[in-house]
Amino acid sequence: MSEETPQSNFSKYGLYTVNEHLELTLPDTLIKFERIGENAFSYFRQDSEGKIIEKMIPSKSNELKIELTPIRPLNYPARRTGYVFLKFDKEIYLSQNSAASIFVHCPIEIGIFLIHDSEPESLDWITCNPLNSRFGLYGPPDTGTLCRYAEVSLATDFSDSIPYVEGVMKIVIENDLESGQTVSKVIFPITDNSLYYEDSKSILDGIKVTLKKRAVVSIADVQTDTVSTDWIKSPTWEDSTSNTSMEMGLE
Amino acid sequence: MTPMDFLQGLSEMEIIGGLTVLSLVLGAIIMALGIIAAKIAKLIFFKYYAPTLPQDTAKNFGKIIYFGIIAISFFIFTSVQGLDFSGLLVAGGIFAVVIGFATQSVVSNLISGIFLMIEKPAKHGDTIQIPDMGISGTLLDIGTFSSRIRKFDGTVIRIPNEKFFTSNIRSLTDSTVRRAEAMVGIAYKDDIENAISVIKNEIQLTMPFVLRIPEPEFRVEELGDSSVDIQVLVWHPRDDWSQAQPHLLTTIKRALDKSGIEIPFPQRVVWDAKD
Repeated sequence: MSEETPQSNFSKYGLYTVNEHLELTLPDTLIKFERIGENAFSYFRQDSEGKIIEKMIPSKSNELKIELTPIRPLNYPARRTGYVFLKFDKEIYLSQNSAASIFVHCPIEIGIFLIHDSEPESLDWITCNPLNSRFGLYGPPDTGTLCRYAEVSLATDFSDSIPYVEGVMKIVIENDLESGQTVSKVIFPITDNSLYYEDSKSILDGIKVTLKKRAVVSIADVQTDTVSTDWIKSPTWEDSTSNTSMEMGLE
Repeated sequence: MTPMDFLQGLSEMEIIGGLTVLSLVLGAIIMALGIIAAKIAKLIFFKYYAPTLPQDTAKNFGKIIYFGIIAISFFIFTSVQGLDFSGLLVAGGIFAVVIGFATQSVVSNLISGIFLMIEKPAKHGDTIQIPDMGISGTLLDIGTFSSRIRKFDGTVIRIPNEKFFTSNIRSLTDSTVRRAEAMVGIAYKDDIENAISVIKNEIQLTMPFVLRIPEPEFRVEELGDSSVDIQVLVWHPRDDWSQAQPHLLTTIKRALDKSGIEIPFPQRVVWDAKD
C-alpha cells in the first residue's frame, strides 16, 4: 500500500448507517444526511464547483443505510457514452509475437447508494476531478465513437490507486503481428468492467488487447478481463449496454 | 311480406344502369365491414408491430394497411356487383385532366412525400436545418402531403413535401460530434501565441463539453484593419450545442480580459495633408 496522505482524513468507501446525522467528506465535496422527521431524512451535497443538491428521503425504517462506492467514469459532465479513451502518458512498445501486462490509472466517479431491502439504489454521484473529466472522439466526426477521455499514467500495482480520483486497471497486451507495435492509447466500452473497493482505494476489471491481423487489416481487439480480488464489488450505477468488446484500427 | 319478398323487391328496384337498391345495400355492408377490418388491422399493427419500427415507417405502414384494406373492400364490392367502370372512365377522362391541372401541387406534394419516405433524408426526432428557408428545428413527421418541424422557439411549422424534397436539408444529428466556431480580434501589439494559449487553457478549464480530442483549433484568419483576427474552432457532442456555441465567445473574452490582451475596436488613422 502507498504511504498515507492527508486524503486519509476523507470518508472511506463502504456502508454507513444514518440515525440522526452523518457527514461525509471527500476532496472538495461535502455530503450531509440529517433526520428531519420520524421517517424522513434530508440529503445535502456540495461539490467542488460549488453546486448544491438537496433531496428529501422518506424512509420506512428508523434509520438509513447508504453505501459510498467508486463507479464508472461516465456521468460527468453528462452521460453521453459508455466508452473510455485512455491516452497513456508513455507509449508502450511491443516486439513481434510478444505480450506484456501493465497497470494504469483509470478515472473513476463516486456513487452514493441507498440500501433498500438489501438492494442498492442510486441516489447521487460526484466527481472529485471535474477539470479532467472531458470527452474525446475516436474516429472521424461523422462515424467516430464518443468517449470519456483521460490522459493516464502507469501504475505500479493494484494498490497504487489515487483515492477518489483514479482506480487501477490491469491491461494485458498481446502482439500477434509479425512486426513490433507501439501502443499509445486504448478505447473500450467500460460498461462491462466492474469496480472494487477497499478503504479509499479502487480497482477495475482489466482488459485484454490483442494486436492481430484480420484479412489484410491489422486491428486491436479489446476484451474485458475480470479481475480476481477479495475487495468489495461496487454496485452498478448506470444501465449496462450490450457492448463488451471494441475493435480499434492500428496506425 | 316475408324477408325474401322484401329482398326480391329491393333487387328489382333499379337506380341506374343495372345498379339496384339491394346491390347498393350489399355494397354498403361490404364497405362497412372493410372499414371495420381496416381499423382493427391498423389497431393490431400499432399495438404489436409499430413499436419495433421507426415512427415515420410505422405511420406510413399504418396508412398503407388502412387504405389498402378499404381499397380491397371496394374492389370486392365492384366485382361482386359486376359493375363496369369503362364508361365512367371514358366519360371522366376530360374531367380527370381538369382535376389533374387543378390538383397539380397536391399530387406533386404526394409524390414528393412518397420519395421522402423512400429516401429518408431525415427521420423523426432529428434536428435539421433547411438553409434555403432559414428553418432549424426537430423533424416531427413526414406526412402524405406535408412535413412538420418544431422550431427551436417552440412553434411548429408545416412545410409542403414538394418544397421539403427539393430543398437542401442539413442534418445536425447524423454526426457523433459537431463543431462550434467563433472569431476574435486581438491588438497588433499582443503576442498571438500567448493569446491562443490563454484561450485554450480557459476553454479546457471552463467548458466541460468541449472535446479534448480533437483539440481546439486556432487559425489566424486575417490581418485586419484594426486587429489580428483569430478563428477558434472547438468540437462538442452533437446534442450539446447549447453548452458550447453560446458560451464560446464569453469564454474567449474572459480569457483575454484576464491576461490583459486587448480586443481592439475598429479604428482608422487619418493623416492631415498639411502634416
